[in-house]
Amino acid sequence: MHPLPAPQASQLPMASPAVLPTPIRASRISLSRRTSLLGYALVAPVVICLLILVVYPFLFGVAISFTNREIGSEGEFVGLANFIYLSKLPSFQKSIVNTVVLVGVVQTMKLVFGLGIALLLNQAIRARQFWRGLILLPWAMPAFVAYLTWKLLYLPQGGAFNVISVGLGFGNVDFLSRELAMPSVILATFWRGFPFWVISFLAALQSVPQEQYEAAAIDGASAWQRFWHITLPGILPVVLVVVLLSTIWTTNSFENIWLITQGGPSDATMTFPVLAYYGLQTLRIGEAAAVSVAMLPVFVTMAFIGVKLLEKE
Amino acid sequence: MHSPNQHQRESRERSSASRRNAWLALSAAFALTVAACAAPPAPAAQPPAAAQPTQPAAAEPTQPPAAPPPAAGKFTYWGGLIFSDVANQMLVDKITEWGKARGIEVDVVMINQNETQQKVSAAVEAGTMPDALDMSTGLMQLLAKNGQLEPLDDVFKQIGDAHGGWLDSAVKSVDPATYGGSIWGVPFGLSGNLINRRHDLLSEKGFTEAPKTWEELGRMAEAVNDPPKVYGMGFALSNVGDGNLTVTMLQTWGGRIADDAGKTCTIDSLETRAFMEWITGLYRKGLFPPGVTTWDGAGDNQAYQAGQAAFIANPGSVYLNLRSNDPELLEGTRFSGLPAGPKMQLQPYNPNVRAIPVTSRYKDLAKDLLMYLADDEFMKEYYANAIYGPVLNSQVDFPVFKESPIHIGLLDVAKNGTPPAFPDVDNPAYAEFNSNFLIPKMIQRVVVDNVSIDDAVKETQAACQAIYDKYK
Repeated sequence: MHPLPAPQASQLPMASPAVLPTPIRASRISLSRRTSLLGYALVAPVVICLLILVVYPFLFGVAISFTNREIGSEGEFVGLANFIYLSKLPSFQKSIVNTVVLVGVVQTMKLVFGLGIALLLNQAIRARQFWRGLILLPWAMPAFVAYLTWKLLYLPQGGAFNVISVGLGFGNVDFLSRELAMPSVILATFWRGFPFWVISFLAALQSVPQEQYEAAAIDGASAWQRFWHITLPGILPVVLVVVLLSTIWTTNSFENIWLITQGGPSDATMTFPVLAYYGLQTLRIGEAAAVSVAMLPVFVTMAFIGVKLLEKE
Repeated sequence: MHSPNQHQRESRERSSASRRNAWLALSAAFALTVAACAAPPAPAAQPPAAAQPTQPAAAEPTQPPAAPPPAAGKFTYWGGLIFSDVANQMLVDKITEWGKARGIEVDVVMINQNETQQKVSAAVEAGTMPDALDMSTGLMQLLAKNGQLEPLDDVFKQIGDAHGGWLDSAVKSVDPATYGGSIWGVPFGLSGNLINRRHDLLSEKGFTEAPKTWEELGRMAEAVNDPPKVYGMGFALSNVGDGNLTVTMLQTWGGRIADDAGKTCTIDSLETRAFMEWITGLYRKGLFPPGVTTWDGAGDNQAYQAGQAAFIANPGSVYLNLRSNDPELLEGTRFSGLPAGPKMQLQPYNPNVRAIPVTSRYKDLAKDLLMYLADDEFMKEYYANAIYGPVLNSQVDFPVFKESPIHIGLLDVAKNGTPPAFPDVDNPAYAEFNSNFLIPKMIQRVVVDNVSIDDAVKETQAACQAIYDKYK
């Protein structure tokens, strides 16, 4: 085929400007589209990774919690049977109470001590950098090392705390008994996690404008008034994020229980993640998934509250 | 000047080109993402070597079979870690040696046996099972039920033929009649608990012989109980495998987990209550060390090795430790079988097997490896460092089973022991019952939570039945 000859300019019919799209206008649309598509292309890897690594496993976990699936077999839909079975399980009921107690107490301790220590380290104290570095050590230590060390400290026979206790004439104390197992786990969990709070609060404290303190001092505000009206509002967004994140982490925490008490004695420290782990031992992943899914309302509520508070801020 | 049509056409072309570019960019991004998120590459096709039948070792009983041709890819083996570093290394070296002989790269991963079940669960779901692995018959049973293991009847027969036959205990451990119609694992060692006792302390009190009954053991433990220095009963009452020794104790009292059909729980019985009276009575007398209800798998080891327990039940790791680190305590230690209860004596053996997943890329090579590992010369050295009883007749006369006190005991377990779960039925419900540690928990309910024996038994009966109902 021969190409048609290009028409002469004089041969072109006149056209109204409304009909004739200008090249500049077409280029703008194209550029806009190109930009938006490029944007989609750039976020696509993250979105696809999230879909594959987060959304799919999450939905898959929810789906199999309604089946009698075992390792290596597809299983069948059993409705709420797994949840009904779990609800009758004494260990499950205890795990709800224990999880709430563990998270509630640990988070309160972290908040109080974390904020207190951060305020202290924000002052012009001697060797401030040293103390700031030192406070990070528990957080920097691998969790299993930290919790195994705590277990060794707690050992009823030969444990460091008991060596001290016996040396002081108080006799042996069973730190992992029914009465003391949960407080012992709480202490270890607090110790391991509070540095994150301290450092986060410390960073937030340094972002509060100094001028506000100076103005408050001129107005004769007391230390408590300065804290309540300047410091706290200034760091509140960070506090909320830290509380939210740490609450989710603590609720999900496994090593602290497993390495110290394995959920015992007699389920005194049984929590959701440990119960789910026991479920895996029998290869019945439908049931194990049901334990995890049972935690879902807790996380959704926490996330909802966290987001609402942040929006409010 | 351009005509309107031409402008439109050019505009369309530009727009089309722009869309093409954008889709290309999206496709490229998607491809990159998939590549980044992708699972490991699909298993390679079975190498030519695997298609050829391996040579049985029948002609030379203790010699490895002839080498199949080399295979492409890496062969992965999961070995079960035991307390002997020497034995662990021997297994790694032997498999590596086999890989070199067969011209295939091997990756031997030694995993904590307490975590085998969890690791296998994840691997089955992720499709990343190794080509062969060590496991307990409990796990073997659960995986075989769901079609995850390769039948090994042929390998079992070949190894048996090459080594003078299997011991009865090994045969019963993988009996197709019990475990779903085929042999799913090749036994390589029998574990079994033996009583380790402080002969030095006991003889001072006039007890020079091993206890014949659990009740006698309790009396002996009470005689030497001297807290906080020494506690008589170093038996775990926690949610770990060691805690399930209490199931065996209960059975010797005549208690049963379920009926003969293995369908209905029968824990709520007079025998169970009698056993509970005995064991909680000893706890309340202070014969158990503090913390025994939260011990991990090493709790009894640590207590005995620290000289703080007069009796423990242990498969041999304590012996190995004392042999290396505390000859004096070893000198004062004696080993014996488990005592009898009021109704019967039980000495369960726990077989350890090597199995091949159905997803193994190199099934025939894996079978070849199992035969290679059964080599008598290797096993002679391996048993001397490991803590297993024999499984094959050719192994019974190994020197270690005549010289080492713990191995003499394990040989006795292999010859005269009772099958796993006996007198109960060894089925998946029984395995789940044990995985939930319901008997140790029943004891904990009494000694930790102070509920009555009657209530604890009824609770456990209900929890047990809920498990068994799932398998009906």
